[in-house]
Amino acid sequence: MIRKHESDISWKAGMLALAVHGVLFVAMVVSINWKAAHPPMNITEVELWDNLPTKVAKPIAVKPLPPPEVKEEPKPEPKPVEPPKPVEEKPEPAPPKVDIELENKKKEQALKKKIEAEKKLEEAKKKAAIEKLKKEMLEDLPKPKQADNMDKKLKELQDAMLDDKPASAQQSSSVSPSVIGEFTEKIKAKIRGNVNKTLCGDGNPELTFQISVLPTGELSGAPKLVKSSGNATCDEAVERAIIVSEPLPMPPDNAAKAEFRNLKLKFKPNGE
Amino acid sequence: MNVANDMSFFSLVSGASLPVQMVMIILLITSLFSWWYIFIKVFTIKNATKDAEQFEGAFWSGGDLNKLYEGLSTGRRKSQGMASIFEAGFKEFVRHKQQGRMEVSDVMEGTRRAMRAAYNRELDNLDAHLPFLASVGSVSPYIGLFGTVWGIMNAFRGLSNVAQATLSQVAPGIAEALVATAIGLFAAIPAVIAYNRFASSVDRLSVRYESFMEEFTNILQRRI
Repeated sequence: MIRKHESDISWKAGMLALAVHGVLFVAMVVSINWKAAHPPMNITEVELWDNLPTKVAKPIAVKPLPPPEVKEEPKPEPKPVEPPKPVEEKPEPAPPKVDIELENKKKEQALKKKIEAEKKLEEAKKKAAIEKLKKEMLEDLPKPKQADNMDKKLKELQDAMLDDKPASAQQSSSVSPSVIGEFTEKIKAKIRGNVNKTLCGDGNPELTFQISVLPTGELSGAPKLVKSSGNATCDEAVERAIIVSEPLPMPPDNAAKAEFRNLKLKFKPNGE
Repeated sequence: MNVANDMSFFSLVSGASLPVQMVMIILLITSLFSWWYIFIKVFTIKNATKDAEQFEGAFWSGGDLNKLYEGLSTGRRKSQGMASIFEAGFKEFVRHKQQGRMEVSDVMEGTRRAMRAAYNRELDNLDAHLPFLASVGSVSPYIGLFGTVWGIMNAFRGLSNVAQATLSQVAPGIAEALVATAIGLFAAIPAVIAYNRFASSVDRLSVRYESFMEEFTNILQRRI
C-alpha cells in the first residue's frame, strides 16, 4: 500500500486527510441544522397574518349602523333621539381597543373583560330603549315607518351576528354559556375521534373551522377553514373528520341550538 | 415539511436501510484513503521536483563528476530521482572502463541500460497510487448511485402499503438515499482532480529525467 520512501510522510498525510473530512462533516452538519430551525418561524408568521384581518373587520362591521338611526329617528319624535345615543357610542370604544390590542397583548384581556361588562350593560340599556321605541312607534307611527324600524332592527341583528363570539354570546344571554361550552366540547370530541392523527404530525397544531350546524345536528354547507395549522394535509384530514362526524351532538334546548348556527371551532387534533 | 420530521444529518444516516449504510461506510473509507494518497502524492511530487532541481544545479555547476558520485554514494540515505539515475549510470560506466579496453558503443550501451532501469524504478515510484485515485474517481459515483437507487426503491415500496400517498412519506427516504450519492461525489471529485494534476506532474518529471539521461550519455561519451 505504501512505498518505502513514503513512510515518513504517511502520518502527516493521514492527519491532513482526517482533517479534511472533519471540516466537511462539520460544514454539512451545521448547514443541515440551520434548515431544521427554519420552519417554526414560518408558523408564527402565519398566526400574525390571520389575527389582523378579523380585528380590523370589527369596527367596519359596526360603523354602518349609526347613520340610518340618526336619520330615521328624528322623524317620529325628537325625544327618543337621546336613548339610542348610547347605542352609537358603544362602537366608539372599539377602535381604541383594537389599537391597544395590537400594541399590548397583556392589557388586552383585562380591557376586554371590562369592555364586555360595559357592553352587557349597554346592551341591556339598548334593548330597553329599543323596546321603548318599538312601543312608542307602534302607538304613534303610521305603518310604513314601523316597517322602517323593523328593517333597522333586522340590520342590527345581522350586524350583531357578524360580530365576534363575545357579541353573539351577549345577545343570547338566555342560553347559559356552560351548555354551549359543554356541547362544543362534545362536538370536538366526536370530531377528534374521526381525525387521522398520523397526518397531523407529532406536534400540537391548532386550526380553526367555521361551521354552521342545523338544529338536526347536520352541517349546512361545507366547513370553512378560518385558520390553517400550516399543514395542508392536516387541515384536509380535520375537514374530512368534521364531515364524517355528522350528525353532531346538539343540546335539546332550541335557543341553545341556534347558538350553533354559526360556530367557530378551535380544534387541536392531538388533544388540548 | 413538518417540524416533527427530524432531518438532521445523523438521523438521515441512522435511518437509512442496511445496504445504504454499507454503501456509505465503503464510500467513507474510500474517500479517506483517496485523500490520504492525495496528500502523500502532493508531498512526494513536491520533494521529487525539489530534488531534481537541486541535483541539476549540482550537476551543471561544472564540478568533478567523480566527486559528485562519491558524495551521493556515501550519503546516508538512498539517492532518489535524478540522482539515482546518475548514480546507476556512472557506476556502470566506471566498471566498464576498469575492465580494460572495450568497444565505445558497448560501454555506452551498458551505461544506458543501467540508467534506463533506474529511470523505470523511479517512474514506478512516482506513478504509485495514481491508478487507485483513477478508479476512485470513476467508480465511487456509481457506488453512491447504487445506494441511492436502493434507498429510493425502499422508500417507494413502503409507499405502496399506504392508501393515501403524500410527499412527506417518501421525502425522508429519498433524502436518506441521496446522502449516499453526495458521499460518492465527495469522494470522486477530489480524486479525479488530483489524478489529472498528478499525472501531468509525473509526465513533466519523466521528460526531465529522460532529457537528463540523454545529456549525461553525451558527456560520458566525450570522456572516453
